[in-house]
Amino acid sequence: MKTTLTRLMASAAILTITSMAASADVELTFRFNDSEREEMRAALDEFEAANPGITVELQTIAWGDSRDQFLREAAVGQGPDVVHIAFVWTQEMAEAGILRSIEELEGYQPLPNGFDDFIATELTEYEGQHWGLPWSADTWAMVYRTDVLAEAGISDLPTTWDELLADSRTIVENTDSVGFSFPAGNQIWFPVNYFLWSNGQEFISADGNGGYELGASADEVATAMEYFSTYIEEGLVSESILSIDVPHDPALMQALLDGDQAMALMPTNTFRQLLAAYEETHPGEDIPLQSGVMMAGSQAPQTHLGGRTLVVNANSDHPEEAWRLVQYLAAAPLFENYYVNQFPAQRSLLSQIDYRPEESGFSTQLAEHTRTWGAYASSGAGVGQMWNVTARAFGTALSGQSSASDTAADLLEELERMIAN
Amino acid sequence: MTLSPKLRNRITIFMMLFPTFLLLIAFYVYPTLYNLQLSFTDITLLQLRQGGDPVGLSNYIEFLTSNSFFDIALNTVFWLTAVTVALRLFLGLCFAILLNSRFLAEIRMTTIARLILLVPWATPPVVAVIAWRWLFDPRHGPINDLLLTTGLIDDPVAFMSNLTTVWPAIVTIVVWNTTPLVAVSLLAALQTVPEDLHEAAEIDGATRWQQFRFITLPFLTPTISVLALMSVIWTFNNFVYVWLATSAGPGTYTNVLATEVYIRAFIDLRLGYSAAIGVTMAVVMAVFGALYFRYFGLTEMQDKVG
Repeated sequence: MKTTLTRLMASAAILTITSMAASADVELTFRFNDSEREEMRAALDEFEAANPGITVELQTIAWGDSRDQFLREAAVGQGPDVVHIAFVWTQEMAEAGILRSIEELEGYQPLPNGFDDFIATELTEYEGQHWGLPWSADTWAMVYRTDVLAEAGISDLPTTWDELLADSRTIVENTDSVGFSFPAGNQIWFPVNYFLWSNGQEFISADGNGGYELGASADEVATAMEYFSTYIEEGLVSESILSIDVPHDPALMQALLDGDQAMALMPTNTFRQLLAAYEETHPGEDIPLQSGVMMAGSQAPQTHLGGRTLVVNANSDHPEEAWRLVQYLAAAPLFENYYVNQFPAQRSLLSQIDYRPEESGFSTQLAEHTRTWGAYASSGAGVGQMWNVTARAFGTALSGQSSASDTAADLLEELERMIAN
Repeated sequence: MTLSPKLRNRITIFMMLFPTFLLLIAFYVYPTLYNLQLSFTDITLLQLRQGGDPVGLSNYIEFLTSNSFFDIALNTVFWLTAVTVALRLFLGLCFAILLNSRFLAEIRMTTIARLILLVPWATPPVVAVIAWRWLFDPRHGPINDLLLTTGLIDDPVAFMSNLTTVWPAIVTIVVWNTTPLVAVSLLAALQTVPEDLHEAAEIDGATRWQQFRFITLPFLTPTISVLALMSVIWTFNNFVYVWLATSAGPGTYTNVLATEVYIRAFIDLRLGYSAAIGVTMAVVMAVFGALYFRYFGLTEMQDKVG
């Protein structure tokens, strides 16, 4: 009996010690949406080694689903501890009450170079506090197959939207390739805005009285629709681009790699992936890919200063450890060793980037020709929602489902409703 | 106090059904009522914690009077439901008759043919759509290759982006993936038709068409009626095929009610508005079901068959 009692007590003691040890361990979940899953896992292994007692589960989810997935989870007290989101979602998620503020998190450990070292922090601001740490920065620029341009007899890169269209006609006429092709599905949002901005228009503007108003007329939006429709109507590109949502769609990437397409527009990390793919398939050869600044209209070219934010879920039971992970992910070594296709969203790190010669277009674009979403974000209309209704409207016009003028009027009516709400 | 046997029986039946009632209330009645409640609010995905404000019938009014309502309704009722269900029933009947024919038995192909027919049905819709998207691809798709090689077209056709071809392409995918279920069900029904009826009709000089029209078809009618009802309800509410094939595009050209529910809830984040569309769909299907049973009562059909 005594022996049995001793064994029971010993077992209980072991169980207690084991459970104490287990409770000392912190398990974090990091939801990451980019394609560099293996690299990120390696980085997290390094973090775990440097932070005994913390383990990080890496979750990945498609960008298209990530926003509403996190909103649904967080609303019922669930969700990952650290989440990778787009710059423009930060304010709406802060408004939804599902994030912890940077000011609160800095109470655990301040940022080494301060929060002001980060770019586009205004996109993370809501009711006087900041709710996310800008993590990676990007913008879009033009990309060219210089050998196809040469074959078509084009010596200078186009600088305006009109020249881009004229060069596309020349390329189709003189070569077997297409000229400019673009994703005409969901992400037509980007070229459309670049077109409007370079012509002094925008979908939503500040009205100067603290409110917001439409920044483009129905005629101006219809002109943008007609411009992009021209490529399809004249057969300069296949109408299959209507089904292409993203610039890294295999159809576009393969066409650039094969030289079947001469001109495209894309974000920085996609161009880096394109360069890597070309080098892999053409080892030792000169790279006939070059980036350039976006097209100008009646005014200078402009693209968006975009990027990704890291946020800490308000439901996290381990905000201190989650913040430690966020700080690790925002440090220079991650961008040097693991997340190499992305640019860090910190001024101190951006200034240290060594651009490849092929990336000069992106370098100039980022330094001289970018703007934030501005009134789109601060109006409360919701950049994500604006993006979706705009993409659907352009798809409607470009496919010929409805006239550009009717579609533009409907789109502006919807945007007006969003501003009012 | 003693209970009568009849009352005791009723209590016993009620007690046995009670757990099922509870499950139904928890998993069907409550979500349905909650969805109905949401449809009268302006709740968005961003306000799940705070809840939405009541807006009365405005979600319903906005949807039913929107510019896109007619197009969405037409797409759902005509292209997605009527065309695919009609084709499914017709092709399913043809396949069932073929599989039940003496010809296949004579060449010992019955089993193989039945197995082949089941392949599309066993293919998950996601896989089916991806495979067909590849088949329809304008650059690398075999259908375009074939059409170009045979000289039927001069330039590749972007089946999924062209307004003329996109709906026929979606219909093809739906029909390919779902016809086998109809065919197999009708094949089972065909095998219940007494052979002696055909023999008697043949002796009386009935042609093959007359035998089919006056013997086979009446036997198949109850099965066809049930299949039609199930297919209509299932297809009307279907989201997968259109969303995976075209994401309701190009533009909104192939938008149907189910994709509109998804777009409004999870892309535009308007849960209340989306719930109103969902309720509208449920009402339409309930009315359809009631009318269907009223005019094509299955019991009556059973009686007619005998």
